[in-house]
Amino acid sequence: MHSAAVSAVRLRGITKAFTRNVPVLRSVDFEIAAGEIHSLLGENGAGKSTLMNVLVGLVRPDAGTLVVAGEPVEFAAFGPARAARCGIGMVHQHSALVPAMTVVENFAFGDPDGALLFRPARSRSAVQALAERFDFEVPLDRRVEDLSVGERQRAEILRVLGRGARVLILDEPTSVLTPGEILRLFESLRRLREAGCSVVFISHKLGEVEEIADRVTILRRGRVAGVLDIAEADARTLGRKMLGRDFAPLERAGRPSVAAASEPPLLQLHGLSAPGATEASRLRGLELAVGAGEIVGVAGIDGNGQRELEEVLAGVRAPSAGGLRIRGEAVAPGARSLRAAGLAHLSGDRETSGLIAGFSLAENLILKGSYDDRRFFRRGCLDLAAARAAARDVAARYDVTPGDPDADIAVLSGGNAQKLTVARELDGDPEVLVAVNPVRGLDVGAARFVHERLIERRAAGAAILLISTELDEVTALSDRIVALVRGAFVPIPAGADRAEIGAILLGEARA
Amino acid sequence: MNRRDERLIDVARALFAIGLALAAVALALALLGFAPGPALSALARGSLGSSAALTATVLKSTPLLLTGLGVALCFRCGVWNIGAEGQLLVGALCATAVATRFLTDAPAGVLLPAVVAAGALGGFAVGAIAGALRASRGVSEVISTILLNFVAIQLVALAVHGPLQEAAGAYPKSDPFPAAALLPAIGRWHLGIAIAALLAVATEGLLFRTAVGFRMRAVGLAPRAARFAGISPERIALFTLGLGGALAGLAGAFEVAGVTGQLYEGISPGHGYTAIAVALLAKLHPLAVIPSALFFGALEAGAGAMQREAGVPASVTQIVQGIAILVSATFAVAAGRRRGGMAAGAAADAVEETA
Repeated sequence: MHSAAVSAVRLRGITKAFTRNVPVLRSVDFEIAAGEIHSLLGENGAGKSTLMNVLVGLVRPDAGTLVVAGEPVEFAAFGPARAARCGIGMVHQHSALVPAMTVVENFAFGDPDGALLFRPARSRSAVQALAERFDFEVPLDRRVEDLSVGERQRAEILRVLGRGARVLILDEPTSVLTPGEILRLFESLRRLREAGCSVVFISHKLGEVEEIADRVTILRRGRVAGVLDIAEADARTLGRKMLGRDFAPLERAGRPSVAAASEPPLLQLHGLSAPGATEASRLRGLELAVGAGEIVGVAGIDGNGQRELEEVLAGVRAPSAGGLRIRGEAVAPGARSLRAAGLAHLSGDRETSGLIAGFSLAENLILKGSYDDRRFFRRGCLDLAAARAAARDVAARYDVTPGDPDADIAVLSGGNAQKLTVARELDGDPEVLVAVNPVRGLDVGAARFVHERLIERRAAGAAILLISTELDEVTALSDRIVALVRGAFVPIPAGADRAEIGAILLGEARA
Repeated sequence: MNRRDERLIDVARALFAIGLALAAVALALALLGFAPGPALSALARGSLGSSAALTATVLKSTPLLLTGLGVALCFRCGVWNIGAEGQLLVGALCATAVATRFLTDAPAGVLLPAVVAAGALGGFAVGAIAGALRASRGVSEVISTILLNFVAIQLVALAVHGPLQEAAGAYPKSDPFPAAALLPAIGRWHLGIAIAALLAVATEGLLFRTAVGFRMRAVGLAPRAARFAGISPERIALFTLGLGGALAGLAGAFEVAGVTGQLYEGISPGHGYTAIAVALLAKLHPLAVIPSALFFGALEAGAGAMQREAGVPASVTQIVQGIAILVSATFAVAAGRRRGGMAAGAAADAVEETA
């Protein structure tokens, strides 16, 4: 019934690249019928948010067309205000309400009819009517900051509806809700559908998608991997389409001789707990050992403690209990002591934690040695000439272009910047390596380069912990895999297939 | 584009900003009903036209150079030190206390170094308070340094009305410094001028030739990445604010021990605020602070001449000076924003995917 229905919004051939060579969306078609709940499913980085940002006028695509309710719309003249007039509204993951105002005041604030005057009393009846119509229970005169998360979300949806939205986009609306609140949300969404509104439900939780959606569009690496009626799809099919399986396996030499069992593992986490940015990302008693010549993969979805684990391993977040051992010896927390103990940290977050824009290649190369690297820092003085010579050498060996040691790192492409990071972290032949999303944002060739270096280190007997939100990467490189789900390690049985691993990552199953 | 080209562009941009500032001065004078020609020529004569004028320019530039260095150092490290004025005043206050109360009878070999050190320590203490508040409690240094300015202004007022007031008790000012507390001078050129110039060179060396300076620059550009490299942004902020404060405190000590020979209210006509413009026009390069301070010093010296010779009232010269500061600092900075490259990539990544 739905595919035959009138389309409320139709995007065709949407292509968008933020940086050269790395398109985020490649000729994506996306259609929402009137009165349907349409789920947009995909991994982190698949392009879901970008596609929706196109639809609400926040991102202008490089190519493609938009038709709203049968009328073609020019992207050149399409911004957030126009999108709102077209009846497209989005509820973001992060609240857009003013916390210190009541729900009614938030409604009046930004009311297009009341642009000059702030008249909450006038808005009151309108909000109330809407809330009753869709049976949204929201305390209208309480301040937003005093509302529960669920109430706040309902208020947010009401406000978007109040601006005349007929197509409502919800960005991972269930990620902050309790199971009971999720059921209520679903009831509300069904009521919206009955009233003829369309809902785009962004998620990567397969179970929820099966329960609430009429149709689902699956994005994978910026392309549509499938459009299915929910009746003809099960979680397994969805998972396989979402995670894909078209990754050429890397050549990996057989496992090198493993150290005798009596020797302590090179890297060990014991009872490691640490505070998190959210409740779900708090680290809870992690136990793991990585031996010589072994790559252990930590798979998982962003927000389950990946960032926190990386920060602990890099020494910038203090554990609340437990800690790290390197070669069996406890290491004091702190970036400098970890580095001194022989741990290297290769991060995909080049811009924020690996490299410094505004520093030259040479300066970035010596960034981590300002306390103890005698090659470049002696008696408190900086030997820039030595740094430049080293940068020139490294640029030649790792094929970094431009290789000018004085060039600002900001002019390098992501791949070349990451090559410099690889050079810095791996050139000292570290015995223990923590690699976190090491190929994020890189094109295929650069990604291949980084992966080959990791495999080289493994062959040389290093212990490597690979934390990645790309399941393909983890399965291709790792000797063993654990999943990081809600801040705890969940073992993944050997021989588990992609769909089974996906289910574990999504918290749908426990192995 | 390599770094030398970038330097040349920075210089060209600064000169352009200065030209624009002078044009704005002419326009402002015309709008306020004064003939720009005679006023501007008086400004030029009063700042560059004679050896006395040059001396005035250099003397006005010296506190701007030192405070400008302190501000540039802090801004480089991502520390928004708006408190050079207060640091300068407390430096002057401490120097005066030592010269006129604590060590008045000491010989020059002891007294003069003590006076200078007291100035630097006083400024250091004020800066360090803001640094410690930020490091321990996360208090924004913008707020704390501004508020400390008011504290410092009132401290000077309190001192010259009370414990440091001259023996005669007639005016709210300190006793004149004993000769042994005055900076050696050739004519009006006191020793502090040379020390300030040397400190500009030393600051450049600190930033670009030492491990500490490397860490300071790293924190200023990317505090999170610096943390991953084992550098503590909090400690760097504390160190930098202390150092910047010490430089401003020296400026205060040099004013009382080299120019005025005593402390009174209003000893600084806002040097510590102009210092922000000085640092910005210099693009936060310590060596470039020298010409930048000379420009603003010339403006100040010339404003006096404009008042005397062209009959432009003091209020108007102050308005004109303010406009010149605003225009030059704005245009030196505005066009210099970093574009493209990794910054743009990071922004794109942020938009790219959160789902």
